[in-house]
Amino acid sequence: MISESALSTIKSLLKPDKTWLTPFNIVCGVILVLGAIATLLRFTFGLSAVTNLTDYQPWGLWIGFDLLCGVALAAGGYVTSASCYIFGLKRYHSAVRPAILTAFLGYALVVFALHYDVGRPWRLPYPFIVQSGTTSVLFEVGGCVALYLTVLFIEFTPPVLEWLGLKKARNLVVKLTLVLTIFGVILSTLHQSSLGALFLIAPSKLHPLWYSTYLPVYFFVSSIIAGLSMVMFEGSLSHKYMHDKMDKTHLEESENVVLGFGKAASFVMAGYFVVKVVGITMDNNWKYLFTGYGLWYLVELLGFVLTPCLMYAVGVRERNLNLIRKTAGLAVIGIVLNRFNISLIAFNYHLPLSDRYFPSIWEFVVSAFIVVVGLLVFRFISTHTPILYEHPEYKEAHH
Amino acid sequence: MSISRRRFLAWMGGAGAGTAALATGANAGSKHFDGYPGSFGVLHDITHCVGCRSCEEACNKVNELPPPDKPFKDLTVLEQNRRTTPKAHTVVNKYLKPGSEKPVFRKIQCNHCLEPACASACFVRAFQKNKEGAVVYDASVCVGCRYCMVACPFEIPTYEYDKVLAPRVMKCTMCAPRLAEGKLPGCVEACPKEALTFGKRDDLIKIARERIRKFPDRYINHIYGEKEMGGTSWLYLSGVAFKDIGMREDLGVVSAPELTSGALGSVPIIVGLWPVLLTGIYAISQRKDKAALEEKTQAIVEAVAKAKKDAEKKLADALAKAAKDKDAAVKKALADAAKAKKEGA
Amino acid sequence: MIMEEKGKSRLRWGGVLAAITLWLIAAGIGAQGEKPADKSQERPDVLMIDTLKAFGDLEKPRVVFLHDLHTDALEKKGKDCSACHLREDKSGKIPGAENLEDAVKGIDKLSPKFKRLKDTARQDVMDVYHKFCIECHTDMSSAGDKAGPVTCGGCHQKNPVKSSRQEMGLDKSLHFRHIKANDKKCEKCHHEYNEKEKKLVYVKEKEADCRFCHKKETEEKRISMRLASHIACVDCHRQILAKKNPDEKAGPVKCAGCHDLIKQKAIEKVAEVPRLERKQPDTVLVKTSVTEVDSKTYKMPPVAYDHKAHEGYNDTCRVCHHASMDACSKCHTLSGSKDGQFVNLEKSMHLASSNKACIGCHLKKQETQKCAGCHSFITKTKMKETSCKACHVKVPGEPEITPKTDTAPLAKAVLDARQAIITTYPDEDIPEKVVIKDLVKQYEAAEFPHRKVIQTLVKNISENKLAGYFHTDQGMICQGCHHNSPISKKPPKCANCHGKPFDEKSLYAPGMTGAYHQQCMGCHEAMGLKKPAGCTGCHKER
Repeated sequence: MISESALSTIKSLLKPDKTWLTPFNIVCGVILVLGAIATLLRFTFGLSAVTNLTDYQPWGLWIGFDLLCGVALAAGGYVTSASCYIFGLKRYHSAVRPAILTAFLGYALVVFALHYDVGRPWRLPYPFIVQSGTTSVLFEVGGCVALYLTVLFIEFTPPVLEWLGLKKARNLVVKLTLVLTIFGVILSTLHQSSLGALFLIAPSKLHPLWYSTYLPVYFFVSSIIAGLSMVMFEGSLSHKYMHDKMDKTHLEESENVVLGFGKAASFVMAGYFVVKVVGITMDNNWKYLFTGYGLWYLVELLGFVLTPCLMYAVGVRERNLNLIRKTAGLAVIGIVLNRFNISLIAFNYHLPLSDRYFPSIWEFVVSAFIVVVGLLVFRFISTHTPILYEHPEYKEAHH
Repeated sequence: MSISRRRFLAWMGGAGAGTAALATGANAGSKHFDGYPGSFGVLHDITHCVGCRSCEEACNKVNELPPPDKPFKDLTVLEQNRRTTPKAHTVVNKYLKPGSEKPVFRKIQCNHCLEPACASACFVRAFQKNKEGAVVYDASVCVGCRYCMVACPFEIPTYEYDKVLAPRVMKCTMCAPRLAEGKLPGCVEACPKEALTFGKRDDLIKIARERIRKFPDRYINHIYGEKEMGGTSWLYLSGVAFKDIGMREDLGVVSAPELTSGALGSVPIIVGLWPVLLTGIYAISQRKDKAALEEKTQAIVEAVAKAKKDAEKKLADALAKAAKDKDAAVKKALADAAKAKKEGA
Repeated sequence: MIMEEKGKSRLRWGGVLAAITLWLIAAGIGAQGEKPADKSQERPDVLMIDTLKAFGDLEKPRVVFLHDLHTDALEKKGKDCSACHLREDKSGKIPGAENLEDAVKGIDKLSPKFKRLKDTARQDVMDVYHKFCIECHTDMSSAGDKAGPVTCGGCHQKNPVKSSRQEMGLDKSLHFRHIKANDKKCEKCHHEYNEKEKKLVYVKEKEADCRFCHKKETEEKRISMRLASHIACVDCHRQILAKKNPDEKAGPVKCAGCHDLIKQKAIEKVAEVPRLERKQPDTVLVKTSVTEVDSKTYKMPPVAYDHKAHEGYNDTCRVCHHASMDACSKCHTLSGSKDGQFVNLEKSMHLASSNKACIGCHLKKQETQKCAGCHSFITKTKMKETSCKACHVKVPGEPEITPKTDTAPLAKAVLDARQAIITTYPDEDIPEKVVIKDLVKQYEAAEFPHRKVIQTLVKNISENKLAGYFHTDQGMICQGCHHNSPISKKPPKCANCHGKPFDEKSLYAPGMTGAYHQQCMGCHEAMGLKKPAGCTGCHKER
């Protein structure tokens, strides 16, 4: 049943050779080892041994980065599949599979990271099977993420099934694409906005410039921006390092993907900017712009929202793919900055410096570990399964 | 793929059913919970507190908490402002207003809100407000996500970060088990000055108002906790401004659940409307493609038909011309022949 | 991209970056924020110049002017007040304050305004300030001295130095020193305005507080208290000092001299101030109705008031005579009148929150440490009915009192007959020790030295006439602890009313332990006792 090529790949994995020792692999290896140590420490000595979390700051880098940024940056999955299958923009078809793969790995790693942060990770299913706290936004986030992970998993299986040679299964899954995509967009809208809604409950702890009743809207819209930018960003990385794995269609379509997504991103960012300004006005928060935190807010809004918005627009108009790709990187950093601001920097702004939080070295290690795992798995899957190219046996089944 | 009328109606029905089934009472914004009738609370009269820490000692004993680093009789700990810890459900802090020599002492512990943020935030309902007024914790379901600690505006819950297998969220329980036995909370029983008055919340508000009325110079005219964050079961009277004793005056009167009810209420709406919206977009985009395709084929057909017509006309004209030429040629030939015969004879 | 396009794009990006940088810098400057108020920078000589307000809205913030700073600086240069303040014109009148002419004849006065005698027009006033201020500053700085600002924003500051100026007034002692210094010539300061003659005149034995007429703001024909006091006080001091006679002392001329808190406290106080001579009454009968003719229809007995004694108890007259030297009932009529701000007679005497009312002042006296032990527990919001009779005493013989009756001797008779109760029950009736054994689980029984404490309290009262008059019963002193019960030689024990705490049926009474601790510790704290201290101060540990 399983194809020849799959079998040979698995065999080669079990026989590593010298060509594996590239600088990139060595660094990854070191981080993997450190990550393993961190894992051991975390599960032998508890959170206090590996984190700087306190009673004032219960959510630190792992929530701020692994969870919030991870989910936002994995939004490329629903954005790309929506534009291709719901909006009918077939020219983005080649971008769908990498985006879905990134999204699936992203969400899987988010859940993986959660096992480190939460006190009793073996109880993570409790809200669904033991006792549900339906008044909690976190319940909704958890439920939607769990469902969406399932949706992504199903959406991610076709390339693997193709690699394994399981034709019937693959065809069945492909028939579900539209339904899964719609379901995915619904779930994504819900949990992306709810991640913002998590902070609605703590107005006294979040700086007024970042706290708003529109937080769910901000998070949802910025997730679209994150998704579009991340697809372009990791597309540019794939282009550079896995060019030989891309087929003709993929290469041909990539220019349109960059231009089209760049245009869309510029447009959405402009809307996001306007909505943020509206938010400041509605809450009468202009006076805060003339404080230290206000300056930092302006850095985020002007430097990492307005600037990439304009850069995208210019890049699209001048068909400058390089510029658009660079802007994508800037936009991704902007999303990370925004999530960090809300969860770490502007959170607990009212506390004295001595009570403020900075992540410990092991927290950085675990976060890096998770990113490295993601990179390595992505690389493996996209080099061995039809992500960046179409499987020759299924070319005509292209929907 | 085109969408048939039947299928479209089925989608609409599904969306409607989805909205109806999933709609939870999202209009929580207009409701206000005043506490379970007859629920208990504690009134902390800060003007009576002398910072003796008897309450801390009693709480430690009653809850069988581990012994502290410095004994309870050691009053030098009051020189530092402390917060609750996993080993201390309650602490007493000393505050010295600049310009005044008399220090003010205040006891900090869970305020047992009427609509607790922690209970609202917990996704396994580990925190619940019981009928006696206490907000109690069920460690047997807690997953340790610590969202309750993010949510609490008074920064009370603490976490046992150094435990691996059974870390708990730790906070004052208003001695709920003792209340069930008809006993007083440990701290209340221990306070020699009765700076803590236990009773029904409604009675406590009466008592507080009476104290303010009788001694207006002694108290600030405000019962802290009467309305803050929707009302708390632990109330405070003070002789100095609350913000000078570490109590935030900017929390507002909106309870924490009300802050998130709007966002949660939008969930069933999205679940109901998004399928309609997205399917609609899909249908429209499909239709557009189909229409474009039809237009294209139609244009091709018309072009072919026109070309054919033109060709036929051209042929007919050519044939007519050829026939005409032929007749003329034949006529000429006959005339030439006749002429030649005439000349030959 | 072609080279041209690359250059254009670079220029564009440069422009965008520059714009953003400028915005960030501007925000950064704005983000400097306000510096918190520094108490050590506060000064008593801060004047805010906003003269142009009289001519319309101010365009710029008010100017901060530090008067003492300038006086000191000019003094160093050998200049005096006349460097900025112009002399009166030759007619002998004070420009801008003409109605003071008679009172100040012969005195060489300076105008309180800066470098001008009158506020004529907006531009003129502005020019005066700008010209002279900036000129002087420029001259001084070019001479190498420290000088004030010359730029607009240097003077028109948004966040000026805060003023620590304390209000100044004369008390008995300072007034007496002035009487002595002026050889009892009251007319030097005291005057009133005669409507008929339309001028200022001095009326003997009708001298009053300046503030009765001179209010906060200058009115049409009446200057403000601020102007009046500076013209009258500061200028007089200045002239004496100008004589440079070492035997003649005078008060301050600088702002800080009167308005600085520390300097105020350092003003020399006369130990025994002789009584002011203004033919004021020794005793007064305060009638509970002013217009009643038939004394038999009085509802409340009148109050005999020892005016002479009260003169001794207070530092100024204006504590009670806050608007005029007349009798209270002139404005505070039975039902209230506009003159009295609609505060009726009863309120004017009984208002607990006002120091001007009898009761209000007496309640304030209860806050002294010797009295506060008991009185901090007694609510001030409602008076005990039994205390009315301490003041409202029937005149012996109950004579008829008409508006023409001379009531002073009647008042004296009542006052002479009054007795201050400054004793309590005999010692044998007072338990010597009370043993409190309620907390015996943790501590030994507390031995309360009952008789000794009462004897100390009685001693405190015996030294205080006010207490003696109001403690109208021997057993009243027991009420300090044995409260909420009738006065009796055998008052109830604490345990009679205080039992289990948090009793729904007695919401407002603490339980036994709370009652003891609140009462005992509350009294000790209010009386400022250092001992007994801590838990073991009263009961030893087991």
